[in-house]
Amino acid sequence: MSLDLGEALQTFFAESRGLLQDMEESLLRLESESDDAESINAVFRAAHTIKGSSGMFGLDAIVAFTHKVENLLDQVRNGAVPLKEGMIGLLLACRDHIERLLDFAAAGEEMDADARTHGEALTAQLSQCLGKSATVPAEAVSPLESAGGRPMAGDTWHISLRFGQDVLKNGMDPLSFLRYLGTLGEICHLATLADALPAAAEMDPECCYLGFELCLKSDVDKARIEAVFEFVRDDCDLHILPPGSKQADYLRLIAALPEDNARLGELLVASGAMTARELEMILTAQESAGASQATQKPLGEILVERQIVQPELVNAALSKQKDARNRQAQEAKFIRVHADKLDHLINLVGELVISGAGVGLQAARNKDATLMESVSGMARLVEDIRDGAMRLRMVEIGETFNRFRRVVRDVSKEIGKDIELVIEGEGTELDKTVVDKIGDPLTHLMRNAMDHGIEPAELRASRGKPVKGTLKLNAYHESGGIVIEVSDDGGGLNRERILAKAREKGLIPDDGGNLSDAEVWKLIFEAGFSTAEQVSNLSGRGVGMDVVRRNIEALRGTVDIESHAGLGSIFRIRLPLTLAIIDGFLMGVGDGHYVVPLDMVQECLELDPARSEQRDYINLRGEVLPLLRVKEHFGLGGRAGRRENVVVVNSAGRKAGLVVDELKGEFQAVIKPLAAMFAKVRGVTGSTILGSGEVALVLEVPALLTEAARKLAA
Amino acid sequence: MAKTILIVDDSASIRQVVGLTLKGAGYDIVDAVDGKDALTKLDGRKINLVISDVNMPNMDGISFVKQMKTMPAYKFTPVIMLTTEGSEAMKRDGQAAGAKAWVVKPFQPAQMLDAVSKLILP
Amino acid sequence: MEIRSERNDGRLSLYPEGEMTIYHAADLKPALLDALGQSDAIELDLSAVSELDTSGVQLLMLMKREAVAAGKSLALSGHSPAVLEVFELLGLGGWFGDPQVLPPNLQASARGAA
Repeated sequence: MSLDLGEALQTFFAESRGLLQDMEESLLRLESESDDAESINAVFRAAHTIKGSSGMFGLDAIVAFTHKVENLLDQVRNGAVPLKEGMIGLLLACRDHIERLLDFAAAGEEMDADARTHGEALTAQLSQCLGKSATVPAEAVSPLESAGGRPMAGDTWHISLRFGQDVLKNGMDPLSFLRYLGTLGEICHLATLADALPAAAEMDPECCYLGFELCLKSDVDKARIEAVFEFVRDDCDLHILPPGSKQADYLRLIAALPEDNARLGELLVASGAMTARELEMILTAQESAGASQATQKPLGEILVERQIVQPELVNAALSKQKDARNRQAQEAKFIRVHADKLDHLINLVGELVISGAGVGLQAARNKDATLMESVSGMARLVEDIRDGAMRLRMVEIGETFNRFRRVVRDVSKEIGKDIELVIEGEGTELDKTVVDKIGDPLTHLMRNAMDHGIEPAELRASRGKPVKGTLKLNAYHESGGIVIEVSDDGGGLNRERILAKAREKGLIPDDGGNLSDAEVWKLIFEAGFSTAEQVSNLSGRGVGMDVVRRNIEALRGTVDIESHAGLGSIFRIRLPLTLAIIDGFLMGVGDGHYVVPLDMVQECLELDPARSEQRDYINLRGEVLPLLRVKEHFGLGGRAGRRENVVVVNSAGRKAGLVVDELKGEFQAVIKPLAAMFAKVRGVTGSTILGSGEVALVLEVPALLTEAARKLAA
Repeated sequence: MAKTILIVDDSASIRQVVGLTLKGAGYDIVDAVDGKDALTKLDGRKINLVISDVNMPNMDGISFVKQMKTMPAYKFTPVIMLTTEGSEAMKRDGQAAGAKAWVVKPFQPAQMLDAVSKLILP
Repeated sequence: MEIRSERNDGRLSLYPEGEMTIYHAADLKPALLDALGQSDAIELDLSAVSELDTSGVQLLMLMKREAVAAGKSLALSGHSPAVLEVFELLGLGGWFGDPQVLPPNLQASARGAA
């Protein structure tokens, strides 16, 4: 069978990653409440679903591994194996391994030797946890192939079927099985037996009373025929005589069937299974063998052994805890939408703004009052739509925060400190693109706080603090932006040590001792700065903090530090709510409009035409300020404006002056990404639409700063 | 007239693959994300077969089948339960609820088609 | 499921319409047996039967058996494609002893089975 499973496979990967996320959260919850049945069930369900789906795509490595994980989880769920603390670590490692296997599958690769070894090691540990308790044998993934088996000689099978009375009520129609049997070969000589049909008054029309004797010409094996009736095997007497069966086999069959022997014999003769002479011999032989044989119980060769029903496991799933129910109720309220679709929608809304502005201009030009009124009504709606579309991109930061539970757990185990993570403000929303990019800087800050902030247990004890350190993640909205705080209750930053280090690295002059605390703290964000006396494998590499600052600035955010000796530190990140809207500063150059982010504008000044050195730089209060003439940079024609202005922009400590014709003031800009064809244009990050419907380009300040410095040096 | 199959599973990829497979074989497909959702799909339309997972949020497969079997229009509709190997207890609960057929997870599309074909041909 | 009936010269003709399946078996049984009590010669026109399952087959067999036992005649006619497919599968044509008109697509399989 060939199906295009590509799309379904993508669904599978997305779904599995979501499940692994759930699995991790539940495992971490289990670490504090080891008897939370719902969490155990959630972990089980995640493993179970991943195994089930991956089997469908033939991802056997994932099936095999998750099967083992599921085994252990099943035992834990049953209460057969207690959940010990080390087990959660193992299960987390297994979760990671499944993720790795998924990565291989997604890349279309086989797993490498390292992953294989790792998987085997985990498997061994899983078996150890299971101990002597029953492991469930893995069922062959594809019994279809194995069902092929070796074909028996000959090709005509004799099959006797007596259906139980309940099959119809159970939705099983014997006709369906016969039709299916017909797909395995050719059914010949089918006889329908109504002998068991009771008197009219007693006959229950919803019960099944029919039996069938048939011959099947087919080269399949017996198991394959039995499998046809697997769904009714508790409810059906099935006798299969393979091709070339001996008389004695038929004799046994006749004896086992409820109908009159002579009548059955006739059927067999009619179907060509035996000759009339053979039948006669059989019947004679039977009479002499006595009645005992005839009253023998049916062969029942395929009747399954009945097993004792275990206590209901499923109902455990029904007794869900309240928060779990709430969580699910929330899940149901979400729909998964591809981010591209949202971007597209926001783009369209941008187009709508342009069109709306165009219509507004026409209306104004034609002095059509009623039309202008309608247009302004529409413009309000468009604005609402724009805001609504923007809001669609807003996601709660909680998911990002929760990911750190694992980080904190792993790191604190690794460095031997007992650290608790407290999360607040999970419901605070911000733009999806910001959320995606904030993970790395946060990780660095968290690791830094755990490594350097929180003191070792003995030191904490001697300082009279609780031995267990606390790390806190908090988020809240403040003046149109979002603030994310990473705080610890450790020893705080050490002013003297930072100063000493900064001098050693030549970051400040030797006499630079009169810096304010805030200025001192900022030093740790300088490249190459690291205060760790011992370099650990986590955060002591001296690359962390300056990368953090750069990442945050790339999001148009800032980071500052509050620290109190002996009490701890707070790293406070401020970010814009969205990257799609900026507070900009609008400038005019020739006929064009340009926008720079307002927070990068330091000051504006008029360019004095009388001063000659003003070609490439000006003297700004004793400082050399490189100039970049926007008109030249973009190769624009047109004569210089009557007056030229300098907009002093500042980014990451560098400054330059942008020479423009006109200053137009603050402007809130909805940024539209540039089409791919403009990707090579340096110094522009996007475009925005002005109220007039005209387009303004959004300048990329860091690139322009580099350009200005280069020109000055040349 | 094509036979209609209701697929109930909280896994989108399972719904997608099973749906594709069965559609390819000539069946009509209706799907639902859990037992509760599935009940809303039993709105009087003709359903020839139900394929249901057991362990699902909101309403599990067993409760769903029990409820379905109380509805006159669906009390005789055959059900294939998606079970896990080794979970005999679950299979028995399913059978007690009226789901007499099963397919063991993990399965391949062809296995599902085979099980469905035993109960109804398209 | 509906059964229309017509009486011609003491002959009762029944026209079941729709599904003769387990969903309707509980209603069909009394309706069919009741008809059996109303006449000595009954014709069952199966041309409007859209679906026939084991429960329907059983009822037809029960009715035939009861008719024969009571010395009445029961003739099946107008077998619809759904009915023919089942009769072919179960080899019931001879059992009921009624002439059947096979549509071309079933003729091939009928020959194969003979």
